[in-house]
Amino acid sequence: MKPNLASTAFTFFLGLLMTSASADETIDFNQQIRPILSNACFACHGPDSLNRKADLRLDDEASAHQVITPNRHQNSDLFLRISSGDPELLMPPPDSGKILTDAQINLIAKWIDLGAQYETHWSYQKTKQEKPSQHFGNWSKDPIDDYLRTRHKNDSLKPAMEADRRTLIRRLTLDLTGLPPTLEEIDRFVNDEHPTAYRKLVDRLLASPAYGERMAIQWLDLVRYADTVGYHGDQDHNISPYRDYVIDSLVQDRPINQFSTQQIAGDLLPNASIDDEIASGYNRLLQTSHEGGVQVDEYLSIYAADRIRNFSNVWMGATIGCAQCHDHKYDPYTIKDFYSLVAFFADIDEEDHFAVGSNSLPTKRPPEISVLAPWQQARVDQLNAEIAKIESNDEERGIENKLTEKHLSLTAERQRLLNQKRLTMVTKTKSARSIRILPRGDWLDKSGPLVMPEVPEFLPQIQSDRDRANRLDLANWLFDRDDGIGQLTARVFANRYWQMMYGQGISPSLADFGGQGEPPNHPDLLDHLANFLNETQWSTKRFLRRLALTRSYRQSSHIETGTVSSDPRNLLFARQSRYRLPAELVRDAALSISQLISHELGGKSVKPHQPTGYYRHLNFPKRVYVPDRGSDQYRRGLYVHWQRQFLHPMLKAMDAPSREECVALRSVSNTPLEALVMLNDASMVEAAAALASRIIREYLDDDKQRIQFAFELATARRADSKEVTILEELLHDQRDHYAKHADEAATLVAAIQGDSVSNQKQIAEIASWTGVARAILNLHETVTRN
Amino acid sequence: MVKKMTIQYNHQSENHTRRSILRNTGFGLGAVACHSLLGEKTTSGETPTRSADLPNFPPKVKRVIFLCMAGGPSHLETFDEKPELAKQDGLAMPASYTAGQPIAQLQGKELKCQGPLTKFGRYGESGQVISDFLPYHQRMADDLCVIRSMVTEQINHDPAHTFLNTGTAISGRPSMGSWVTYGLGSESKELPGFVVLTSVGGRNPQPIASRQWSSGFLPSLYQGVEFNGSGPPVNYVTPPNGVTDSRQRKLIDTIGELNRRRYATTQDPEIETRIATYEMAFRMQKSVPQLADFSDEPQHVLDLYGAKPGDGSYASNCLLARRLAERGVRFIQLYHRGWDHHGGLKQYMKVCCGLTDQPTWALIQDLKQRKMLDETLIVWGGEFGRTPMYQGKGGAGRDHHIKGFSMWIAGGGVKGGYSHGATDELGYHAVEDVVHVRDLHATMLHLLGIDHQRFTHPYQGLDMRLTGVEPAKVIDSILT
Repeated sequence: MKPNLASTAFTFFLGLLMTSASADETIDFNQQIRPILSNACFACHGPDSLNRKADLRLDDEASAHQVITPNRHQNSDLFLRISSGDPELLMPPPDSGKILTDAQINLIAKWIDLGAQYETHWSYQKTKQEKPSQHFGNWSKDPIDDYLRTRHKNDSLKPAMEADRRTLIRRLTLDLTGLPPTLEEIDRFVNDEHPTAYRKLVDRLLASPAYGERMAIQWLDLVRYADTVGYHGDQDHNISPYRDYVIDSLVQDRPINQFSTQQIAGDLLPNASIDDEIASGYNRLLQTSHEGGVQVDEYLSIYAADRIRNFSNVWMGATIGCAQCHDHKYDPYTIKDFYSLVAFFADIDEEDHFAVGSNSLPTKRPPEISVLAPWQQARVDQLNAEIAKIESNDEERGIENKLTEKHLSLTAERQRLLNQKRLTMVTKTKSARSIRILPRGDWLDKSGPLVMPEVPEFLPQIQSDRDRANRLDLANWLFDRDDGIGQLTARVFANRYWQMMYGQGISPSLADFGGQGEPPNHPDLLDHLANFLNETQWSTKRFLRRLALTRSYRQSSHIETGTVSSDPRNLLFARQSRYRLPAELVRDAALSISQLISHELGGKSVKPHQPTGYYRHLNFPKRVYVPDRGSDQYRRGLYVHWQRQFLHPMLKAMDAPSREECVALRSVSNTPLEALVMLNDASMVEAAAALASRIIREYLDDDKQRIQFAFELATARRADSKEVTILEELLHDQRDHYAKHADEAATLVAAIQGDSVSNQKQIAEIASWTGVARAILNLHETVTRN
Repeated sequence: MVKKMTIQYNHQSENHTRRSILRNTGFGLGAVACHSLLGEKTTSGETPTRSADLPNFPPKVKRVIFLCMAGGPSHLETFDEKPELAKQDGLAMPASYTAGQPIAQLQGKELKCQGPLTKFGRYGESGQVISDFLPYHQRMADDLCVIRSMVTEQINHDPAHTFLNTGTAISGRPSMGSWVTYGLGSESKELPGFVVLTSVGGRNPQPIASRQWSSGFLPSLYQGVEFNGSGPPVNYVTPPNGVTDSRQRKLIDTIGELNRRRYATTQDPEIETRIATYEMAFRMQKSVPQLADFSDEPQHVLDLYGAKPGDGSYASNCLLARRLAERGVRFIQLYHRGWDHHGGLKQYMKVCCGLTDQPTWALIQDLKQRKMLDETLIVWGGEFGRTPMYQGKGGAGRDHHIKGFSMWIAGGGVKGGYSHGATDELGYHAVEDVVHVRDLHATMLHLLGIDHQRFTHPYQGLDMRLTGVEPAKVIDSILT
């Protein structure tokens, strides 16, 4: 955009647009102005030096002042061009498809009149320590409530009432363990009058192993954990111990900085433990190709880009992947920054598989090590100690005979565990390959300069005493609040945890804290939470516990009349959120309600029922899907074999991602395919049949009570009399039908009940209740967290 | 992950936006207010908008049938006749062609010319050049617009398919069928807008990933729904054993009644959507088996295609494609795999052409007879072509090739009996009127009434397009 005096002629309608800026008015550049400039202007007048037009940067204050005269919008070419009536002069150009609204133009004019102040982009600023300006003594349980409530006051929002206890225990149990509460748990909580009842509930849930399983799902989405290589033949690879390490880390509440460092650079830690090695499998989670005829250099460049996209999304809330071909269009990341980050990972072996990674199942992706799950390893260590003690005692007493019953049983247990060792991919540093900038991302173009491992130039730099900074330096830099970007990283994690508990991020763009992301709606609160993460030595549990104990978390999700229009997206959190459960939890809920569920922790991935022929397009080698038998058929959703190219269709229908790329926030759809899964998937039908048996087993002969029982298992509330009647009608209808059609009842029950039920009346009864159970499992309420 | 910007840059009013959404659902759900049918975060309670109201201009076609010849058919044995290559058969491939070019399985191998392995003729009034492997194509020469100057950017199957479908090799982007359905919705009340059919038959086929029909960052409603050639036509569309349609109906009624009661208490609009999706699921359960049941097709139609009901063949899928088109499905994609002829090219071309040539012709004749060809765009082609150089994995064959190959399109708004572009004299580089995959996408959208530059969806801070950020152009000269 060239300064153009002629454009003044086209400002005739200014008077219509403008209201003069009054003295007390303030405009927040990052909240109000930067998003407009970023979306409408930065693509041509931003960080990307190669595609910059008119040598003008509107993301840079000094450059922007070529076209801005502070305090005088009518003398500012920026204003004249965006408000021009001449299509030749109008910015953004009409053919760009970008249009500024009158309100936006007006806002920019005001901002100019107030001095056109620039501000560092919010996520790159140091975190502030602003206290909430008001305290709501009776209402607040935590400063978090004060931050939110202050904003509610300003926006004339009223916080929702506290949810009832049944809703609360269901919400908390789902949020923290991914399972619906049992009837005993509901009962205990609802009747616990003690003031600490809620706190005790939170603590109990956080201490449960199921907490680790629940929280792992989000991390596995972020780091794109899957059981297969992704490209072409999509062969299995060895990685399940990494998943168990994630679960264990969450259960142990391993500090986020340690958890991250182990993953990025576990192999570089002094005296690396087995956990460190397993964790370093993070670097191997990318998609690889085992297709014949791949060009090594091409794939190394594809892999490098895959890594940087993931690394920057997960830890920095940045989309640095955009800088693979050119400088980032909206954020200050350059193409050199991209390749300098690539250089940090240049010591990881991803070439070996081109030579040895065959079409076998699993394929080979060395380096791999053979390990136990952390809790198995802990038990083995314990057994070793006990066995050694027995043996040394025997020695002291001069007894040769180690074949005592105790000794035998301990060694047998140890052997059983050791037999369960699994291979897992790890990182082992080797000498780094040289990395050059690839102009336009073209791997065939070797003309770019060589680069060394360096963090993006505009951010604080790594101070390393090594000749060449390495992944360990990079990990430390991520979490160093003073000399690194620890404050940014803390915001990224705090925001994601917040979203897990409130359904919406404080900044809704969970993986993009750049100029095109949405700035936080409560910046002071986000900073406060980021600081809190730091004060608690990066403890996830303490963080989630604090969120759970706020008044705000306990609000009802019910939308009060009037609030819908003023805050439809729930950006201000004057209520809780309601949404369909994540895919894995839909499965877990059905298995849990029916009591089929296996609570076994970790291990190899499992294969639940799947439509026949679903893998028919896989080849090299051809795949035969053999569903697991026994309790492995009823494992929790997060353990389902994650075939990147053909994710289990039940999980896929419920928006579980393929894990080819980082996903920070799943979409939540509500489609006919999902309804078909809920109605007809073999596992869902089996759960319904099991629930039917459970109903019959646990409550003798009272239909109403049986219906109440099943309804409460699914929804944690008592059905009202009308609801009971509706289900009773279904039951009668089923009974009438199956009394006349014994063959259908037998087919339904036989197909899904492993055990044989010979009594025909009993068969008809189970079939009838299976219908009721299917209705209950399919209710919107059953699959909804509210 | 679907992201919504806080700031609206267009002047669409709320009502206007809502109307376009209702019209544009991937399934025709009628007048049901349903945000999250679209896969938005339901917590946001907000509806997604497209950046433009569609169509941008009057469309030439209503639907697309994309015949994907997966594996990469040889242009040099189908539509691109190269006498000079025949002359140089067995001689070293001039390095001037291959230096610095990407190469797949022939990396490090001696590169020599392989002359055409079949004969060509000129057919129809247009004198369209077609090889002897495709006798039925010869009969419809004047219906086809053959593009002999295609280029793509990915040389291995999996990423090349991803590129052909999504315009990029990066995973997680929507395929063209999802884009089109997202933009225009489905005309069917009981079928999804984007259906994928894959056929059996032929040689050991290359795998194909469901990523190829993924909706990527678009709402999952727009993902391609795979129809199975045998067994239940769509996964989960069959009620459990022992549950008849009437039982299933009663069940859905009960679920609906309870959900409606819950709605009365909570006013959660998601519940309305869920009630609608269960109704839709039931309609699908009823209609899909009818659709896949060919018993209402007269024998002469079956014979036209060479289809045997339930055999899962390409011929049956072509017939199924017509039936889907009749019922208002927007984007129908057929995959026939087995065109990856690194060796034994002659023998395997006979197999692949034998399975696909007649049914493809039959589909066009059938649509023509039903006056549907004019409102349909047919696209035929693979993810890339094959090298002019010899490869010998079990007899003469050819390696993957991305710098010049052939595809054809036919149907509404497209010149029939027309030839566009050319490769050099050895069939290596597209040199005349080069058509990039992006140009094909732009042209396809254009025929559907969509301006590819204005058809965007915000994701990760960018206004994403099927045609991406690199230049893409509508191929005007092939349009009527």
